[in-house]
Amino acid sequence: MHLILLGVSHKTAPVDLRERLDFSSRDLGAAVEVLATRPSTAESVVLSTCNRSEIYVASDDPFRAREDVTAFLSEYHGLELDVFMPHVFAHSDEAAARHLFRVAAGLDSIIVGEPQILGQVKDAFQKASERRCTGPILTKLFHWSFGVGKRVRSETALGEGAVSISFAAVALARKIFGRLDGRRVVVIGAGEISTLTAEHLRAQGVGEILITSRTATSADVLASAVNGRAVWWNEAIAALATADIVVTATGSQRPILTRAQVEAAAGRRRLDPLFLIDLAVPRDVDPTVGDLEQVFLYNIDDLQSIVQENLSRRAAEIQHAEAIVSEELVKFASWQRSRGVVPTVVALRQRFDAIRRGEMKRLDSKLSGLSPEALAKVDEVTRLIVEKLLLDPTEQLKALPDEETQVAYTEAVNRLFRLRANESTSEVPDPSPGIRPADRRRP
Amino acid sequence: MSLIPLILYAAAGVVYAVHFVRRQPGVGRAATTLLLLGALSHTFVIGMQTMEVRHVPIANMSRAVSSFVWMLALSYLYLELTTDERAMGVFILPLLVGLQAIPVLNPGVETKDPLFDSPWFWVHVTSLLFAYASFALAAMLGLTYMLQFKEIKKKQLGYFYTRLPSLHILDAMNSRAVVIGWVFLTIGVVVGVVWASQARALNPGNANLQEMSLNDPKIFIALVSWMVYSFEVFARRTLGWTGRRSAWLSTLGFAIVLLNFLPVNYFVTTSHTFQ
Repeated sequence: MHLILLGVSHKTAPVDLRERLDFSSRDLGAAVEVLATRPSTAESVVLSTCNRSEIYVASDDPFRAREDVTAFLSEYHGLELDVFMPHVFAHSDEAAARHLFRVAAGLDSIIVGEPQILGQVKDAFQKASERRCTGPILTKLFHWSFGVGKRVRSETALGEGAVSISFAAVALARKIFGRLDGRRVVVIGAGEISTLTAEHLRAQGVGEILITSRTATSADVLASAVNGRAVWWNEAIAALATADIVVTATGSQRPILTRAQVEAAAGRRRLDPLFLIDLAVPRDVDPTVGDLEQVFLYNIDDLQSIVQENLSRRAAEIQHAEAIVSEELVKFASWQRSRGVVPTVVALRQRFDAIRRGEMKRLDSKLSGLSPEALAKVDEVTRLIVEKLLLDPTEQLKALPDEETQVAYTEAVNRLFRLRANESTSEVPDPSPGIRPADRRRP
Repeated sequence: MSLIPLILYAAAGVVYAVHFVRRQPGVGRAATTLLLLGALSHTFVIGMQTMEVRHVPIANMSRAVSSFVWMLALSYLYLELTTDERAMGVFILPLLVGLQAIPVLNPGVETKDPLFDSPWFWVHVTSLLFAYASFALAAMLGLTYMLQFKEIKKKQLGYFYTRLPSLHILDAMNSRAVVIGWVFLTIGVVVGVVWASQARALNPGNANLQEMSLNDPKIFIALVSWMVYSFEVFARRTLGWTGRRSAWLSTLGFAIVLLNFLPVNYFVTTSHTFQ
């Protein structure tokens, strides 16, 4: 059984082509079902996000499967082969597994370590699994990749630290206030960056968001976007007394929040912390405001340097994460190889058991004098002896380090014990042809 | 016998430190498990001592310290299990280890004074020990608050920023610990005063009881710490002294408590020195 991967990603294809090969906007489950109707791609998973469309297949016939996948891509999206084929990357077996592990770990993302991708991988697998398009190999591969993603997230700092200015501001707010539920926010100036920040704050469940802007219309637009309230300048300044977070991003040439204004408001709010986020250039808030005891003042450069620091910290973690991927890949490959010896192990067990049964049968007349309990005991003991004899050889076979040795050993075992399972070890014969892999899965 | 809890606390302390640096959940769970084992063995030790002298072993100073450590370990475990925050362990454990070393190095002899037969004595001492345990937690929370505050205020987000809970949570936990500690401190002091004046009338020959007054350093310092914590509780409610100021007061208050608990207890003879 072989793993085959074909796909396009932000590294190989321009955005317009990725859009044309996208499955996520349409029904992902339906797509994988269409693909799985072809016999060579019966075991398949389609992973599609805005940065990648990837198809994972487990098949006995890799060449056929590859052709089927390209044909499917072309037919499903109505694209000529020469339009997309130059941008398609293809991996097989270990390389395919490594790719999926790296994707799940967030190592292949545009922003390294971003958290959404693991959920998308899980979703892709689930959609395929629900439609019974997955089998033992892909199930194992994908579950393994979830584990890799989890390990990388818990053992490295790859996904840690905000990597955009607005997220850095929200992360700081959370470090000051804990949960942001019910916190009061004032936004001064309704530009692009304050909109983004307000949206992130809204997503964190803040309470009231008051928005004031030079033009009432832009304040209204932002207010409706983040479920806030557009107010006049005076009301916004008055709200400083009770606000927890203030975002400023106006185009003003001079500071719009002076120390006197904040001090006046601070008198009423006593020592409750006030987080001032000044996203404007030139700055909107008089820098000396930051000297007030309860005020945390961050301007865009401060946030930018946090982002830079986080990015370099993530970059420093890449090696660590890649090491985890490689480590897990070795384990996965050894699992996959151990599947190669399964027919030999099964045949060996059958052979030993047949000998045992034969001997029991031969001794039938001599054993007939025994009580049923004693007979059962004899049966049990002989079975245990066979089990014990086979334990080490089975484990040794499964643990063989590479395919070449594995072929040599299985060949030897086959000959020594006159087994029928003399197929090549890398090609696991399908024990029940005609049944789709999913149906073969153990309950 | 106090050695086993000490070893377990020390081991837990090391693992808490490793957890603080590496932030691996498995290491954190191991730290909690070790601390839990330490607290359990400590419970056993205190149980044995109680059986031995037929009352809770707090009349001898070393044993009182041991009981204090035990209460602090349990209070911290309670805090950790209810908030799921392990970062404070690295600050609390050194205190546990340092204090538990006292009963190990100097086991002392359990004092038997007929005065201690009164139930009021037990209320007095256990309330105060529990109050001190709460203040120890509050002080550590205050200390971490100040570290975190400094990093955010100075915009140098570094080591503690990534490891400590938010300022709000630290402040809220600090406030809770101080209020609980203050209530028990008040109970302990009031019970002590009432009981001492009753006992004085009943035991005119007892020198200790006759000497108990504000001139006694131990009683005086206890009163100073009560005033500091009362001010902290009052200031938070009426003046809005939250955050850094309250964190600072908690640390100051505990420094005074510790002064009373260790040097005064061991090196100054007071009316609380029973033979």
